[in-house]
Amino acid sequence: MSRNGVQWSSKPRFPQTHYVDSRIYTDRAVFEDEKEKIFRPSWIVACHESEIPGAFDYRLFNHPSGVPLIIVRGDDARVRAFYNICPHRGNTILYDPSGNARRMTCIFHQWSFDTRGNCVDISRSEQGYQDRFRKEDASLREVRCEVGCGGFAWVNLTDDCVPLREFIGSAMDILEPYMQEPMEVFHFHKAHVRTNFKLWHDTNSEFYHDFLHYFNRITGMLQPGYFDRKYTGFPNGHATVGSMQIQYDKYEGSKERAVGWPGLAPGGWFMVDVFPGMTFNLRTSVLRIDTAIPLGPNEVIIEFRGLGLKRDTPEERRQRVFDHNMIWGPFGRNLHEDLLGVHGQGRAMREGTDSRWVIQGREEGSTIHDEIGMRHYYAEWSRRMGRPAYDPYGEGKPESVRAAA
Amino acid sequence: MVNSEQRQAIEDVVYRSCLALDTRDWKGFLDLCDESFRYTITAYSPEIRKDMTWLEQDKNGMDTLFTNLPRHNSDHSPITRHATVYTVEVDEAKNEATVVSALQVFRTQLDGGATELFAVGRLHDTVRLDHSGVKLAKRVVRLDTRLLGYGYHVPF
Repeated sequence: MSRNGVQWSSKPRFPQTHYVDSRIYTDRAVFEDEKEKIFRPSWIVACHESEIPGAFDYRLFNHPSGVPLIIVRGDDARVRAFYNICPHRGNTILYDPSGNARRMTCIFHQWSFDTRGNCVDISRSEQGYQDRFRKEDASLREVRCEVGCGGFAWVNLTDDCVPLREFIGSAMDILEPYMQEPMEVFHFHKAHVRTNFKLWHDTNSEFYHDFLHYFNRITGMLQPGYFDRKYTGFPNGHATVGSMQIQYDKYEGSKERAVGWPGLAPGGWFMVDVFPGMTFNLRTSVLRIDTAIPLGPNEVIIEFRGLGLKRDTPEERRQRVFDHNMIWGPFGRNLHEDLLGVHGQGRAMREGTDSRWVIQGREEGSTIHDEIGMRHYYAEWSRRMGRPAYDPYGEGKPESVRAAA
Repeated sequence: MVNSEQRQAIEDVVYRSCLALDTRDWKGFLDLCDESFRYTITAYSPEIRKDMTWLEQDKNGMDTLFTNLPRHNSDHSPITRHATVYTVEVDEAKNEATVVSALQVFRTQLDGGATELFAVGRLHDTVRLDHSGVKLAKRVVRLDTRLLGYGYHVPF
């Protein structure tokens, strides 16, 4: 029997931890709050060290909070991050998404900076500024940057943030044994989708949606061990998913991933979801990492990277690329389905559609179809935002309490 | 030097391949391909400063990809390929021609019929010329467009 308007709007009959108010996916004010409380204080993957292998190599990154960044390897081999904003007239300093720049020079008035963030030249400085303003007053704004967890360059916009290791805790321990060898990015592309960034992370935080993927049903869900995979939650909202042996040869056109990964059991597959919008996905022969960069409450850019080992032979690399593309490339079988799924959520949840609740109520002993991964995420989200995801506007509180707040 | 009759036949196979894929006539497309056919989609990433391969299949692989399509959840919006053959160079010794065509791909929404430019790039085809006719031996789709939204399951 269908439901009327009152029934549709009524809170789900689950504990409050098991559903969220869908307005957290559409409200501009919530999104602005997220930029300050979620993204600015979190460590975010900006790029991989293999993208900036040499001195003066740089990479641009649009931080989820909106700040444009330059990630650059200095003459001392250290990786640093700076605002890509000229301190003079606020112009963009570097335009190309990557390159090599011994001097980073703003095209507007030729102010120039070195890779340690020092301003090294102000054109016609003495004539215009006399002794009132000097190069030393015009350094770039540096932000915290650490290279870790497999050679990724992480950034944090909060000066007094905790170290990366403390933020990650032991969440990456499950992957660390497989990230000891130098890796290399061989694939990069972005997807622009009209949906909320959290919905993408949700998709990476639950496997119940394997029903969406023919490939995963055939090679995983129908195979032994699938329902034994377990979610484990970690402090700061991170979560991991245990492995199984994927039967790749069960999908016509696919075959056993012979190239494998050092130390990983054949067909193995580990995942780590890092709060607030990154996923490390080691699937037998390829490491994929997603970084969600929201542009608005209902608009996100997702950066996809595929990595192999730096020491790969051409044959090994070609096989990894093939394995990657089979399911995860822009024409891959799974990625299109996942993106279509969250695109559909974006359509159904956009402002004014009267979408009200998202249910995360499955409990199966923390195994693969349990929705504990999402519940764990929203517990952290609620803590950081200072508002519960199930009642983001305090509507469940008495009027006097809401007014006081 | 390619004669006009030869060029006509070569252009014909390029255009027919687009028509076949547009109409999801997979058998028709594969019939235009040599047994040694290889299909590749590539793109250059200025972000990582590397050439990337996004899809690579032989003729059997393409056949399997097409066969598996109904088992997957896909965007059903039709796409239209616009190709313009720019250059044809015949290698008489090899009985081959290399063909470079401009490619634009448009996607038309099922609801309302709005059409958007989906991708631009080039087709780099190798065409086999022998007694059995003109066949596609190799196709490399070199994409300039790399932002493909929620993507697509059918090769360009």
